[in-house]
Amino acid sequence: MAMEKLLAILKDIRPDVDFENETELIDNGILDSFDVVSIISEIDDVFDVQIRINELDPENFNSAENICNLITKLKNIENKQ
Amino acid sequence: MAFFKFNSIRVAGVACAVPKNEVKSETYKSLFGDEEVEKFIEMTGVHASRRTFEHQTCSDLGFRAASELMAHKGIKPEEIGALIFSSHSPDYRRPSTAFVLQYRLGIPKESVCYDISLGCSSLVVGMQTVASIMNSGDISKALLFVGDTAGKSVYPEDRSSAMLFGEAGAVMLLEKTGNPSDEINALIRSDGSGFRYMIIPGGGYRNLHASEEVVMCKDGNPRTLMNSFIQGTSVFTFTIFDVPRLIKDFFELTQTTSDQYDCFAFHQANLYILKQIAKKAKIDFEKMPISLDRYGNTSGASAIVSLCDRYGNDSEKKSVKVMACGFGIGISLGVTSFEINTADILPIFEDDSFYEDGLITDPNQLYQKKNDSQHS
Repeated sequence: MAMEKLLAILKDIRPDVDFENETELIDNGILDSFDVVSIISEIDDVFDVQIRINELDPENFNSAENICNLITKLKNIENKQ
Repeated sequence: MAFFKFNSIRVAGVACAVPKNEVKSETYKSLFGDEEVEKFIEMTGVHASRRTFEHQTCSDLGFRAASELMAHKGIKPEEIGALIFSSHSPDYRRPSTAFVLQYRLGIPKESVCYDISLGCSSLVVGMQTVASIMNSGDISKALLFVGDTAGKSVYPEDRSSAMLFGEAGAVMLLEKTGNPSDEINALIRSDGSGFRYMIIPGGGYRNLHASEEVVMCKDGNPRTLMNSFIQGTSVFTFTIFDVPRLIKDFFELTQTTSDQYDCFAFHQANLYILKQIAKKAKIDFEKMPISLDRYGNTSGASAIVSLCDRYGNDSEKKSVKVMACGFGIGISLGVTSFEINTADILPIFEDDSFYEDGLITDPNQLYQKKNDSQHS
């Protein structure tokens, strides 16, 4: 469910990218910093999760799966607090 | 919590000036390529900006704005009891530029004058400072100067910043009224953990004689230690999370709602950021005047530039309730609210003059007898 919502966000921002299969979104320069910021902003709106600067490791944004894992991790941390 | 509420003080007028020299973003196509420039324009909304020439400073622009505002209001220099200059673009490393402006404007010695070292949040923090001075002292009128010449510290081939900044100087006149319904509110926050996000690393006393060797930075832009660095993604994330929260908290503290404001004069960081803030804080974007398309990101002056752009030629002479918001280098952010009559918002002035007596190119100029009659 989370992945479906995330893919909708990603495709809305960059309809030209194959987010289901791409695993080097940052390393291959497919997403630039403006895309990352747009994604972070939408994730905040849709998931109520704020991805802060210390989570801006490029590895976290290389694939939809990695982004989804980051959201899950941050949600879990938030729930424990 | 840094929330401030001032009664019986009002914003009596604002004015600004920009250089005549207009630089269009598309002229950078030969340097950065068509695609890069077009993407920049689409994202930031900056089509053009104004740039000072080598020896013109934002205090020169502020001087013109203040001269116009004081003439418009019929205020004599001796009525001014405080002069605060808030900027990261002082005339000299020392003394404070406020003293230069005091001297040029003929403001009396019985006044308090100093600089605040801030950039994009200058207006809000400056208003809080000036209102606090007035609130606790016997000063009835004060001038707050804001503005920057940020483009001067950008490495010319730094594509992250070269096209972004415009240059401007602005002034706000505040006065005591004796009317408790005149109200200024301000909410201010600071986050020193982000001091590296926007910085000129060299030239301060930590590294006074920093290398001016050009280094290719990890973001693909060349710079020296004496140039401005902006970590764009870090700044973006702070902006889209912390600024909307600041505004929401301000609504709560002042028990106001978005629809009670006529105008949201926000720091013109870039168009994308402004749209994000408006969306997240549930602000009507139509009420947010935009000046960055023609004047660029004019740092601490940008909210006043936007007000002057929208209302400077307004013939209705109506009172408008304004929310102003500034956010950026520090990291510093703040929001304030006030009412102002549009008759006291002057149109944008264009000016290329500079204070020739202030340009010291030979140390022995400093040993010449000062000419007290020269205030121009």
